[in-house]
Amino acid sequence: MAKLLELDQVVKRFGGIVATNGLTFDVNKGESLALIGPNGAGKTTIFSLIMGEIRQNAGTIRLKGEEISGLATHQRIGRGIARTYQVPRPFADMDVAGNIRVGMMPNNLWQMLAKGPDPDAELALALSVGFSEGDLHKKPATLSMGDLRKLELARTLATRPEIMLLDEVFAGLTVGEIAQISDLLAQKRREGMTFIIVSHDLRSLEPLVDRAVAMTFGRQIAEGSFRAVMDDEQVRAAYLGQ
Amino acid sequence: MTMAGIVTSRHLLLWLLFGAAMLALPQFVSNGTIRIIIFANFLAIFAMSWDFLSGKTGYVSFGHPFLIGIGAYASAILSYRFHVPLEFSIPLAVLATLVGGTLFFLPALRIKGTYFALVTLAFMELMYQLIQVVRPDLTGGTRGMSGIKTVLTGAAPNFYLSFMLMFVIAFSLWLLSRTRLGTALDAIAMNEEAVSGSGLSTTRLKLFAFMVSATVAGIGGAFYVHYLGSIAPRALFDINFVFTIIVSALIGGASTIVGPMIGAFFMTFLLEYLRPVLPGSERYFVYGMIALVLYVYKPKGILAILADLRDGMRAQGTGRAQRGKAS
Repeated sequence: MAKLLELDQVVKRFGGIVATNGLTFDVNKGESLALIGPNGAGKTTIFSLIMGEIRQNAGTIRLKGEEISGLATHQRIGRGIARTYQVPRPFADMDVAGNIRVGMMPNNLWQMLAKGPDPDAELALALSVGFSEGDLHKKPATLSMGDLRKLELARTLATRPEIMLLDEVFAGLTVGEIAQISDLLAQKRREGMTFIIVSHDLRSLEPLVDRAVAMTFGRQIAEGSFRAVMDDEQVRAAYLGQ
Repeated sequence: MTMAGIVTSRHLLLWLLFGAAMLALPQFVSNGTIRIIIFANFLAIFAMSWDFLSGKTGYVSFGHPFLIGIGAYASAILSYRFHVPLEFSIPLAVLATLVGGTLFFLPALRIKGTYFALVTLAFMELMYQLIQVVRPDLTGGTRGMSGIKTVLTGAAPNFYLSFMLMFVIAFSLWLLSRTRLGTALDAIAMNEEAVSGSGLSTTRLKLFAFMVSATVAGIGGAFYVHYLGSIAPRALFDINFVFTIIVSALIGGASTIVGPMIGAFFMTFLLEYLRPVLPGSERYFVYGMIALVLYVYKPKGILAILADLRDGMRAQGTGRAQRGKAS
């Protein structure tokens, strides 16, 4: 299998704290990887490093075999990586369609000027994540947490990613909303999307992943099938504090 | 696609009506009023320049006279000292403003919010000090210059010129702000990280906004100085001038382009009608109060009040119709 994303000995220090300590793992094309660990393990830091929102102190990050550590966030997105955030970040004064519109824009000033928005594509994308047509002109302030996560997914999908990094997609959702998002992700997996998913909701996470990496205090402590990782002594100790 | 998607025929009709009404104006009002409207036109240009940068992207400029001043001084010096004809001095001045706009843009790469506003204020102050000491033989130093060539003479011709400038700028910026690019600039003010998280280069978008804003400020500044026929650093690089620009944009409705235009007219007439009652700078206190009241009750400005009125009238209309049906 072709490796889509590879992290090699990635180190990130915040002052005296080592948030990511020599992390090495990779994701194959079409694979779904769970990234688990207790609070403060450094999971979100890894996402930020992969996206280039912060830069690592050492180590390399490769996408399709190419080093991307020198690229800005929007350039990495242009190459096919995208992420969602633990706390959704919609454009507050824009409706659902407007939020999706920004995600769909090409990174080209001339095209942004010369070509108007594509309402059909916006609607199609909104429907594909489970919005109804009537939601299109709702403002984020009126949306539920589940709808905000859908909006975040839609805006992320609008950039046409090959790999999506999902940060706590199930946090703050009702049981019904979790089922909806799970179905959506399962469908995207069938369509061949590659995922790295961070979640504390392990039960919802399990059916969505092929493999898991567990970490604590910025170090990798286990890797393998989801079951094997969950049964690992060190992982249990990290979660239960033994 | 393009035009049809972002502009309706109703919009165009409103713009045409507005243009026609304004062009007919000199037939009906006194020369004094015309002179006031000329100032309103220039203030509108400055307020829209500010709005395209600060209203849209949220990078608040407290130093817009820095850009306006480059346009004004460059054209004034070229024509007054070097006898360059205005056809060349004005375009050259706009180019100079673009260079200034690039300087203005540099801090926006690193800082935002209050810090950015303070740096732009420092730009203006620096310009004010420099203009007085560096080559006063060119700039006229503290006393400035007078007897600068004017483009046209007389109230009515100057009104037509300033209005056409203002109208073309307003319509162009309004069109720009309705494209996807305009939407992206609005998004920067809401959440800059999420814009780069959507795969867009915020640096490039911001640079575009700065360049457009600088061009408009340069055009406005250059034509303004050739309308006044004189220039003095004290009046130009003045914090009251900054506030007049910002308050016009904000009370009109920031980020809407049309709002700042309305705001500029409102402000000019307000200041003018207060002049007999409050001849000194106490007038600024009054508009400060109006601005404050408006921010508290209607932060989106006059344009939002007008929209509310329109919606209210529509709702009343349909309400009446429904009641009529019921009875």
